[in-house]
Amino acid sequence: MGKINDILSPFTAWKHVVNEPLSVKEPLKREGADRYRGFHKNEIDKCIGCGTCEEICQNAAIDMVPVEGKETKDGDSGLRPKIDYGRCCWCALCVDICTTGSLSMSNEFKWIDENPDNFRFVPGAENKPWDDKEKGWKKPDYHLYNPERVEMHELKPEERDKSFIEIIHGYSKEQALLEADRCVACGICTATCPAHMGIPEYIKAIRNDDLEEGLRILYDTNPLPEICGRICTHKCETVCSVGHLGDPISIRWLKRYIADQNPSDKYKEILGTENIEKNGKKVAIIGSGPAGLSAAHYLSLMGYSCTIFEKLPQAGGMMRYGIPEYRLPYESLDKDINYIQSLGTEFRYNTTVGKDITIEQLHEKFDAVFAGTGLHLGRSTRIPGTDHADVYQAVDLLRDIVLGNEVPVKEKIVVIGGGNVAMDITRSLARLQNQKYGKVQIITTSLESEDIMPADREEIVEGREEMAQIIPGWGPVSIKIEDGKIKGLNVVKCLSVFDEERRFNPKFDDNQTNFFEADMIVESIGQGMDLSYISDKTKENLKLDPRGRIIVDEYFRSSIDWLFVGGDIIQGPDVIHGIANGHKAAIGIDNFINNQNK
Amino acid sequence: MKELIDRLKTSYTVEDYIQQRSDLAHITVSKETAVDFISHLQRVEGYKHLVILTAVDWIEDGKFQLTYLLNNPEMKNDINVKVFIERENATMESIHHLWEQARTYQRELKEMFGIDFPGSPGVDKPFILEGWHDLPPYRRDFDTKKYSEETYFPRPGREKNDPATYMKQKLYPNE
Repeated sequence: MGKINDILSPFTAWKHVVNEPLSVKEPLKREGADRYRGFHKNEIDKCIGCGTCEEICQNAAIDMVPVEGKETKDGDSGLRPKIDYGRCCWCALCVDICTTGSLSMSNEFKWIDENPDNFRFVPGAENKPWDDKEKGWKKPDYHLYNPERVEMHELKPEERDKSFIEIIHGYSKEQALLEADRCVACGICTATCPAHMGIPEYIKAIRNDDLEEGLRILYDTNPLPEICGRICTHKCETVCSVGHLGDPISIRWLKRYIADQNPSDKYKEILGTENIEKNGKKVAIIGSGPAGLSAAHYLSLMGYSCTIFEKLPQAGGMMRYGIPEYRLPYESLDKDINYIQSLGTEFRYNTTVGKDITIEQLHEKFDAVFAGTGLHLGRSTRIPGTDHADVYQAVDLLRDIVLGNEVPVKEKIVVIGGGNVAMDITRSLARLQNQKYGKVQIITTSLESEDIMPADREEIVEGREEMAQIIPGWGPVSIKIEDGKIKGLNVVKCLSVFDEERRFNPKFDDNQTNFFEADMIVESIGQGMDLSYISDKTKENLKLDPRGRIIVDEYFRSSIDWLFVGGDIIQGPDVIHGIANGHKAAIGIDNFINNQNK
Repeated sequence: MKELIDRLKTSYTVEDYIQQRSDLAHITVSKETAVDFISHLQRVEGYKHLVILTAVDWIEDGKFQLTYLLNNPEMKNDINVKVFIERENATMESIHHLWEQARTYQRELKEMFGIDFPGSPGVDKPFILEGWHDLPPYRRDFDTKKYSEETYFPRPGREKNDPATYMKQKLYPNE
């Protein structure tokens, strides 16, 4: 019997031939689930090439590669992820961490190709059939890093609006560790920082709680970390990859944390600068602002003896005589400056080059000269009425506040300008009004509308918190004067500030006018340079561009071989460009002096 | 499912309960009561089908989470029984007497997480990894990237670029 069954059983299967099959028909046409993790998609214009996907991939399946048509620029490396599907395990960590949300996975999981190399490609750069598929895995609403920054404690407006004490408290260790932990260490920020600071590296030092290492990283590129940790324009934060879908990392406050935590008496030991061998060469530096101090620092490390000639009674330039104490307290300023002084730099205060000593004498006595004299001459709007005695320049008033000179404070003040200097004088005068009258009556007006005001956002917000009225978008026309007294400022609506070629060319609507009442007016529309310290004889050899600026090479050497120039008069205006210029000039000066001695 | 949960709560200590969907509830019970609880669900409440038994490594808390996903074919709903056990020397009572196929899951968990199920038939036999001498690979302290870099050679023609270094080359090579 058994044998017959064995022979017949294959034929019994034939009875099922008319039944509906149970297996899936055409399996290649079956769609993946709605949230299936299939082949990647990348919105290539949204992607910034931060490489965080590559970093998190546990299978080393992702390479960052250059892609045609994608340029390397501020905030974008120009690289895009290329995925090796021989390694990808479809875990989607790359999608979950993506800082811009550009990377996702389609629900397509079938693709047939005979060439294994075709299974390595750059999603978004090579058209794939699933690029337009909506379904698949997208960045979820939970976060692999915290998108919100650790809040910084600061004085409330009513605690600060009558005094010049520092507003920002600084991070505690717990706060700094939490904030540092948000950094994905992509390093996109480094290119944008004018000094190209090792930002991910010093944030890593915070995570490792190795603040001495952190300080060494800061001083590699920036000898003013207490200062920059407070008042840097933090261009780095504007390109931070984490800022695309959340708050950028508080890079500036983290820098301040490192500097604040290291005691000044340990600096030389930590930075290994206790015994610097002198090389017997001397460099004269004109001006003790960020550029001059930076040059002095890096030249001192190379063994040069530096002498800084400073017109004012103390060092720091605009950092002391421009930036108010509530933003940058003197003890923080002095901590950075004293360290540079301790490396052997000599400061000659109250010494004006061109008057007390000539630039030719500097050339004779020193091997090279660096000038970082900044922009200290306030520019005027030159509208009718600006020659009145109660019209002032912001930079002059800010300097007088620091010098302890008497500063005029009227009951009603109008400030013209929309940059950080305008905010500094607005907020300083608001404090002085509060001290004198118990109330604030100050209007600050700028040509620029609010969205394009050059001042840092927090300056505008904090100024308003301190009861200053900031009214952007108006152009000054004339100052109204009656019986020899200022009555106010006539303004007209400003429609646009720049033309299509991004040139300064304001357009006004003469039909929309306004009047801001005032008995004192402060102009803060920019500063110019004062080159009177360079004698006419030397100036003859100094090449200027058509707009009157000194021409320098990449090491900030002017057309006079022994004269190097940097800082606000060349680039900026801000502290961090000054620091970068001073550093580069120090290298240029070293090369120049070494070549001379050959 | 609410009624069922209330009924269960009278006999068992439910440490946590989440109703994710009308047909899916997560219930956390202690390691000691878990097997009794699961067999009650199977024999009394109609959860006859073991969909999956798997684990999650909560390394920061020093715990493994065991996930027993049970299905009630009549009611057409699922209960996910969650059990947290110590990560160190992780052991759990076997449920192969309730479902024969559980021993396969338990063998997998032993191999991939290092969770032991004493008495589970063949639990120490290799499952899919042959000649494995490293940490159990689903443990979060197993460095997958390091392992893949050491074990597999990169495909020829691959190039790597660090974004910060690449930007320096492109934008400021001399600084």
